[in-house]
Formats: sequence, C-alpha cells, structure tokens
Amino acid sequence: MRRALISLAELAAPFVVVGAAWQAFSLLGPFPAKLFPRVETIIETFARLIADGILPIHALHTVLRLISAFVLAAAVGVGLGIIMGRHRWAEDFFLPLISIGNPIPGLAYAPLFVLWFGLGNLPAVLLVGFAAAFPIVLNTWTGVKAVKEIWIRAAEAMGAGDRQLFWSVVLPGALPYVLTGLRIGLGRAWRVLVAVEMLTSVSLGLGWLIFGAREFLNTDVMLAGIAVIGIVGLALEKLVFQRLEQLTVVRWGMMQA
Amino acid sequence: MKVKSRGRVILGAVISVGLACLIWEGFAQSGVFPRALAPSIVVIGSALGRMLVDGAMLRHTSYTLYRVVSGFVLAGLLGVPLGILMGRFRRVERFFLPLVSVLMPIPSLAWVPVFILWFGLGNAATIALVFYAASFPVIFNTWTGVRSVNRLWIRSAEAMGANEKVLFQKVVLPGALPFVITGFRQAFARAWIAVVGGEMIAATSWGLGWVIFDSKEFLNTDIMLASLAIIGVVGLGFERLIFQTLERRTVARWGMVKAVAG
Repeated sequence: MRRALISLAELAAPFVVVGAAWQAFSLLGPFPAKLFPRVETIIETFARLIADGILPIHALHTVLRLISAFVLAAAVGVGLGIIMGRHRWAEDFFLPLISIGNPIPGLAYAPLFVLWFGLGNLPAVLLVGFAAAFPIVLNTWTGVKAVKEIWIRAAEAMGAGDRQLFWSVVLPGALPYVLTGLRIGLGRAWRVLVAVEMLTSVSLGLGWLIFGAREFLNTDVMLAGIAVIGIVGLALEKLVFQRLEQLTVVRWGMMQA
Repeated sequence: MKVKSRGRVILGAVISVGLACLIWEGFAQSGVFPRALAPSIVVIGSALGRMLVDGAMLRHTSYTLYRVVSGFVLAGLLGVPLGILMGRFRRVERFFLPLVSVLMPIPSLAWVPVFILWFGLGNAATIALVFYAASFPVIFNTWTGVRSVNRLWIRSAEAMGANEKVLFQKVVLPGALPFVITGFRQAFARAWIAVVGGEMIAATSWGLGWVIFDSKEFLNTDIMLASLAIIGVVGLGFERLIFQTLERRTVARWGMVKAVAG
C-alpha cells in the first residue's frame, strides 16, 4: 500500500513541478493571462468543454476521419505492398516512385488536394490516407521479401497451392513487418490529420477547434484541445497497437513483447 | 536477395519516373480536371526552371533550410544531453520520462496556433515548432541507446580503471551512437513535416511550405508541383547525403551496424 502511494507520488511529481512552473510563469511572466492562461483556467475550460459535449463531438469527428483515412491507407498499402513483393514488374515500377514520394511530407500536398477535391472531409481523408500509405507499402513489401525462402519451398514441397501458400505462409510470415508498417502509418496519419483539419476547414474536428480558437485568443480552449489530442494519441498507441501485436505476432512467437 | 548495381537502380528509377510522368501527362490532357488544376509536365518543368533561374526557389529553399536546421540543432543540443542524463541517472529518468511520454503523442502541428499567439507569425514560431517536433525522437532514442549499452563493456572499462569521464567518452557515447543517429533521422523526418506545415499556417513571406500555400490563391498549380519536387529532393538529399554518410563514417565503420545499401 505504502509503496503504491510512493510510486504514485513519484509519477505525479513531474507534473506538479511543471504545473507550478507554468503557474508561476503565467502569473509573473511577460504574457497576458489571455495568451498564457493559469492552470486552474485550463482545467476549468477542459472540464466545461467535456461537460458541454464540445470536446467529445470534435474528438469523435477527428477519430472517425482518422479511421476512414487509415482503413483506406491500410487497404491500398497492404495490397500494393504484397503485389510489389510478389511480382517483379510491380516492384520495378512502384519502388522508385514510392522511395521518392516517401520523404515528401504529406501535408505539402494539402493545398493541391483542396484545389482538386474542394474543402471539407473528402480532401482531408484522402490526404491523410495518402500520407499514411507510404510506410505501409514499404513495410509490407519488405515483409513479403523477408519471408524465408525455405518456408515457401517447404510448403510447395508439401503441395501447397498458390492460394494456400499466400494465406498460410506469406501473409503470417510478413505480418510482423505489416504491423510495424500499420503502426508507423497510423502515427503518421495522426500527426498529419490535425494539421490537415486546420487547412481544409472541416466543420468539426480537434484541429479545427484549436485553429478556430486562435481567432478569439481562447488559449485555454486551444490547450484543452491539445490535451485531448494527446490523450487520443496515447490511447491509439497503448490500446490499439500494443494489443493487436500481443494477439498476433507475439502470441505466435515471432516477436518479443 | 540479389544486389543490383547502382547504375541499374538509377536506370530503373529513371524509367519508372518517366512512365509515371507519361501517365500524369495522359491524365492532364484527358481533361478530368481543368488545365489550371492539372498542368502538363512541360508547364511544371518550365515553372521549375523559371524559379530556379530567377533565384526565387533558392530563396524559398534557404529560408526553409534556415528554419529546419536551427530548430533541429536546438533539438539536438537539448535532446542528446537530456537523453544521456536520463539513461545514466535514475532520478532524472523518473522525472522526465512521464513528461516525455505524455508530450510525445501530441502532433507538433497541433501547437502551431498556440505558438503563433506566443511567438508571433514568422521565423520564431516555425523554429519553435521544428524544435518541438525534433526533440522527442532525439531524447527518446538517446535514452534507449544509453540504456542498451552493454553492461559488460561498462564493467570491464571500470575494472580497467576508467573514471566517469573516460567511461562516458569511450564507452557510453560510442555505444549509444547507433541509437542517437536513428533518433536524428526520425527527428529530421518529423522536423521536415513540421517546417512545411508550420510555414503554411504561420504564414511568413518566404519558404517552400509558404509558396505552396500561397500559390493556391492564384491557382498556380505548376508552382505548387515544382515546389513539391524541391521539397522531395531536399528531404531525400538530407537522408541520403547527410545521415547515411554520418552512419558510414561512424557506427558502420566501427562495425556496430551494417551500412544501409543505396
């Protein structure tokens, strides 16, 4: 019991120190309270916006957008990655293009997508999906290439058909890489999405909430929005991916937790 | 896996880029989008050439580089020492790790509006943004690197009478270096995204992100695509020329990791 309390206090200590520093800076620093709100104002705004349902509705829209973009990226990315890994011509054609496209920040395409697809949800989802697809393609491709030749030959020797080979050998063999790709892709989608929401003026969304709050100098609203963004991001990582990994590749003994 | 020669790789890349250009050209000519929205390759090329010749592109690129490099260097100056301290001293780790884990999943671009209010439009806000984006991968990887230095190396150095300073310079730092370099790489990739996004939102008057965003107003799709090409080339250049060289000169030469081909 006492040990639990001590470790809880240890965990809380850094936040208390930072909170106190923030408070001191807000009271004594050069910024007016409007731009650098006090800790209690931020907490109060956060509680109020949660109770009003404003933060949850914005968060919901952002998450829905993230899911649609991610599903799109995963479907296209894994499909293309597998084709590239299995067929030489596809690899020769797509690999250079993807290597060139990968280091370009997805966000740089935002104005172009707005011109092509208008404002709102469609360009946001397409752009985020586009940005997230690159790591998924590259990792899936690497994974398919990394499937041990001997497993494939063994399966063929035992008379596996093409289809069986794919479902029972290639796909599970490539899965650790695919999952890594999906994880990186989701992280990228998440980082891009917030900014894309600012640029494509969607009607509801956390990025839009923060951006809109700037007009009225509502720094407390912005910080409350950022807090929710942090919580959602942490939840994505801890709840979705670590669990997925636990259930698949770790359980099959292909990776260590 | 068969290793292809460098020449073959480049030739293959040229062919597939050429093919992709042809497909784009067909798409641009097909009239799905109006000409202003999907310009032909020739128009994009001439926009790129014009901007390269009159120096506008050089100026945009140097502004962007100035911002990204300043933010990145600041992040390195903070991140490496902090990561090392966290890896060496339990107390420092206990204090900073929760903060880092909480701040890391927040996308840097979410801070743009706040940074604009605090630092005003322009360089300071963008540099602060790059700094924020780049710090966490550096801190996190340095910390991991220091902790993963083989215990045996430290003990044997100590047994041979190395003091804290020598231990640090000869064992801990080189041992952690592969991770630190990985951290720099990830940090640069994030910084590059942050600088482009930051320039779009914290609009100044120069910079590759800004020029793309500004061209939207005038439907200058050719300028947008030309700037996108430069963003891609500079990003690839950093990865290939700077980080891979750094890796080859240090950790790969010392035999700690295999050099990445290409």
